Amino acid sequence: MSAIEVENLHKTYKLGKVEVPVLRGVSLDIASGEWLAILGASGSGKSTLLHLMGGLDRPDAKSGGRIAYDGRALGDLSANDRNQFRRDHVGFVFQFYHLVPELTVLENTLLGAMIRLGRLGYLREAGKLRDSARELLGKAGLSHRLGHKPAQLSGGERQRVAIARALINDPPVLLADEPTGNLDQKTGAELLDVFETMRGKTERTIVMVTHDPKVAQRADRVVEMADGLIRQTTPGGSVGV
Amino acid sequence: MEYSRPVFQSLLTRRYLTSKVMPLLASAAVMLSVAMELITWSVMGGFLEQLIQSGRTLMGDVEIARPQRGFGDYEKLIEMLEADEWIEAATPTIDAYGLVKLNDTPQQLTTTCRIKGIDPESFNRVTGYFDTLYWKPIDTPMPRDKDREDPRLDPAKREMFETTQRLGQELFGYDVGAQSDRDQAVLGIEVFSKRGLRSEAGFVTDDWVFLPGKDVTLNVLPIDMSGGFLEPVARKLQIGNEFSSNIYEIDSQTIYVPLDELQQMLKMDRAEIVETGGPIEFIYDNAGNPIGRMLPEVVGVTPARVTSVLVRGVGDHIPLRDLQERVKEIYTRFESQSEHAPPVDALDVLTWQDRNATLIGAIKKETALVLFIFGIISLTSVFLVLAIFWSMISERTKDIGILRALGASGPGVAWLWVRYGLAIGVVGSILGGILAYIVITNINAIHDWMGATLGIMIWDPQVYYFARIPEDFNLTKALIIVAAGIVSCGLGALIPAWRAARMDPVKALRFE
Repeated sequence: MSAIEVENLHKTYKLGKVEVPVLRGVSLDIASGEWLAILGASGSGKSTLLHLMGGLDRPDAKSGGRIAYDGRALGDLSANDRNQFRRDHVGFVFQFYHLVPELTVLENTLLGAMIRLGRLGYLREAGKLRDSARELLGKAGLSHRLGHKPAQLSGGERQRVAIARALINDPPVLLADEPTGNLDQKTGAELLDVFETMRGKTERTIVMVTHDPKVAQRADRVVEMADGLIRQTTPGGSVGV
Repeated sequence: MEYSRPVFQSLLTRRYLTSKVMPLLASAAVMLSVAMELITWSVMGGFLEQLIQSGRTLMGDVEIARPQRGFGDYEKLIEMLEADEWIEAATPTIDAYGLVKLNDTPQQLTTTCRIKGIDPESFNRVTGYFDTLYWKPIDTPMPRDKDREDPRLDPAKREMFETTQRLGQELFGYDVGAQSDRDQAVLGIEVFSKRGLRSEAGFVTDDWVFLPGKDVTLNVLPIDMSGGFLEPVARKLQIGNEFSSNIYEIDSQTIYVPLDELQQMLKMDRAEIVETGGPIEFIYDNAGNPIGRMLPEVVGVTPARVTSVLVRGVGDHIPLRDLQERVKEIYTRFESQSEHAPPVDALDVLTWQDRNATLIGAIKKETALVLFIFGIISLTSVFLVLAIFWSMISERTKDIGILRALGASGPGVAWLWVRYGLAIGVVGSILGGILAYIVITNINAIHDWMGATLGIMIWDPQVYYFARIPEDFNLTKALIIVAAGIVSCGLGALIPAWRAARMDPVKALRFE
């Protein structure tokens, strides 16, 4: 069975009185442990697909389609369960890093764990979690930056913190929205190396949205989107960027 | 799943609070609001308390009063009252109105006055009268009398002030001019106004209006038992001293004279009742010529009367209403034993609070009004927090999106902002409480500094009332105001927090 099933997904946004269809019937199966790249130009609907897969947004109310994780439909979950789903099952990485500027690198990394575990749970496991965060940041090459604020980091470093934050709860699915979009080519390539390192030998599924075919080639499989539909599916090439 | 409140709110609250100027400004606004409210309440409350205590000092705890006509056998009533375990002392007084003329001055000032006949010794036990006497030797200068210019401090005048003190305490003493002992009067310090004649420190200099030794002429209009007017009576007394109660209304309208003196003037002293209805009997000489009339037969005696008896309870622990009821019970017993006592319904048994209800009520309303006005002004802190939070949440839209993406619930995000508002409230209110404490406990020094540096004297002791601004910092009041400040900030944060909770995470993440 696929880890993630996407069936006939529709999403329409309203811009004033005008309805803009962004997804027009997207279907997709993603296997557990697969690294999938969704490739498309700006406005193709790839980020919207990612947000829907992460439970941040909902498909259209009428015939909006279905997203299921291990057979469990997201649409059946209550608001609370969706929050919990995000806490437990997915990690997000965004193009613009979205770190909290007031928190240090270590605190930003731990933020997801704080939200997932609550006060007592977090305090109980604080030591272990800090060790995990340090380990993740070490793999990302940021051991010397733990006490720094995001403003003191370069773009690549910030994105590596965002990856560490996304993985602190060890989620089975990592959703990355243009993770290299704001980075130069070299830094982007280094970041994808970090993805590779972090992925390791785990069964973690990675869904990465990008507009850059070279970046997409690092994935196991590439899905091309245009005008809210999947146009083509090709195997990835694991080539350098 | 085990539920516990997420820890991220406390971390972000701390960081938000210390990383931007806006929350510091909001805290400062809350601090000033809380301090302003607390200072106003404390000073006005202290002022009210001072007035109330002065009012209580002047009339004891409970008064039995029958204006104008008065009642007799009061000695027995006082004896019964003082035998009660709840009552420490009782004293007879007469209240009358009259005209007072100040002799020995070029102006020949005349004023209307409330003339109070008292027995100084028992009056002092009930009211602390001796402490209110103004012209007496003092050892400690008034708070603002830094140069010790008050004449009462002058060792050379000590003997003179000891004399005036004794004259005030006894209402009787030697008159140098008349070369004999005379009854003395003690005037309220403002009867012949000293407004504007005080030093900056608030004391009266003896060069200006030193009244002891001068004469006053009192004019009263007695009434008979049926309420009819009799011939006016005038009596000249020497001013032995003046008194200061700190209540202008009393100090400007009251004169103390000996009780028996006023009883005589008002025809309220002991009198014989004679038979007036029979035939006239003449006295004849040996030759049988009428040389006079037989005095009418004495058929009874009306005892001396007073218009009120003031009562002081033992200590401060007996509730006033209970003491009032006890006094009524004693009076009812007294009434059943005395043929000269009017029924309890024919007179008033009032507590000092009832008696001064108008004055106390006015000050209380004034305090409430000022607090209400400042309360409305303080509401600005709620709107300030609301406005600051509204703009901060706009600024933090992306953070909200991040938190939602990481799985934070809407209420969890709302709680972050409410908590943040409460944190600003806690910081601002506690600092406001501390600021208020510093200001209140140093208000006189601050006021003196303002007077010396800026020439601003808000509480001018030359005018009246205060030689010193009340400095009572009340912890209960402080806790109430601080709590109100915290709650206000929480309320101010509610609407922005609700807005944050409802924010679409995708839109929040895309926010630029």
